Amino acid sequence: MKLSKILKDGIINDNPTLVQLIGMCSTLAVSTNVVNSFAMGMAVIAVLVGSNLVISILRNVIPDKIRIPAFIVVIATFVTIVEMFMKAYAPPIYEALGIFLPLIVVNCIILARAEAFASKNGIIASIVDGIGMGLGYTVALVALGAIRELFGAGTILGKAVLPASYQPAGIFVMPPGAFILLGIMIGIFNLARKKKSSSQA
Amino acid sequence: MKETIKLGVILMIITVVSAGVLAISNNLTKDRIAELEMAGSLESLKEIFGDSADFKPLDEGKLDEIKGSTPSVMEIFEVYDGDALIGYAIKNVSKGFGGDLVLLTGFNIDGTVAGLDVLEHSETPGLGAKAEEPEFRNKFVGKSTSEAITVEAISGATVTTDGVLAGVNEAREIFNNQLSN
Repeated sequence: MKLSKILKDGIINDNPTLVQLIGMCSTLAVSTNVVNSFAMGMAVIAVLVGSNLVISILRNVIPDKIRIPAFIVVIATFVTIVEMFMKAYAPPIYEALGIFLPLIVVNCIILARAEAFASKNGIIASIVDGIGMGLGYTVALVALGAIRELFGAGTILGKAVLPASYQPAGIFVMPPGAFILLGIMIGIFNLARKKKSSSQA
Repeated sequence: MKETIKLGVILMIITVVSAGVLAISNNLTKDRIAELEMAGSLESLKEIFGDSADFKPLDEGKLDEIKGSTPSVMEIFEVYDGDALIGYAIKNVSKGFGGDLVLLTGFNIDGTVAGLDVLEHSETPGLGAKAEEPEFRNKFVGKSTSEAITVEAISGATVTTDGVLAGVNEAREIFNNQLSN
């Protein structure tokens, strides 16, 4: 498989958030603004690349029967490392992400990629898959975060962009607003994807 | 049987290596994390007692004794003005609406509240999160420690207010019974 295709699959064709619909819980919870979304995306990329790399290296050593506990240990290790370094070097982001940082352990994107890709493919391909899937997640999260921040608080990256007369629509910051927006985003994304693939065919 | 042992050993090797890696990263980050936490507390302490005051962590033996009877206590500081002990600050955890509230309450040695800071919380923005604003926190300043402390609740955030009050009063009891005498 070509590496560019793996990358493109992660970002567009198999986008974890918008196409595979996995990792929804953290998506809805942390995408209240752009900064949090971006930070969460970076944390997920770091964990995903690390765990894909290690699991790909160990794929012939880990017996099939205990692969799930082995994967979880590897993933949990990376999550804890990311958590410690974030706490030490980026405390405001660490506090903003709160419980969702350690919960990356059970984010199904990571286990899904370990199971579906890294345990069957070579090291380089697995790293690229980690980057692609991570970027796909980040892009979707930042887009969602930007829309929610814009309409929910009238700001982007904490700076006011809408006039002061704009009454922020609180629903966008709340979980129901996230659900509604995510639904609309998934619809538009898949419509665009379908159109493109039918015009290519 | 043999296979079970083999699986166990492989899993054990993976977990041992993971633990090793984690120990290394913990060593790399723990000093900086402790420093940041200390700096965070120090900033709040200065806000409560003023820039000229000095702060020393309470003697460890005594702190452990207090922690033994009240596990929610995290840290206690003695506050000095020059050589004179002018008060205590107690950092403890209470339950809010959205999770833990980490509070730092300062007491003057004469038995009044010097100030309160909400160090960590996960309360609802716009409602319970108002607990960290000076408008609410300043209501505690000057209250006597001889009776249970009460303040007007934040409207729409009774649970948060109760959580803060519970934490402050717990600190008050420690101050009254275990520190001030």
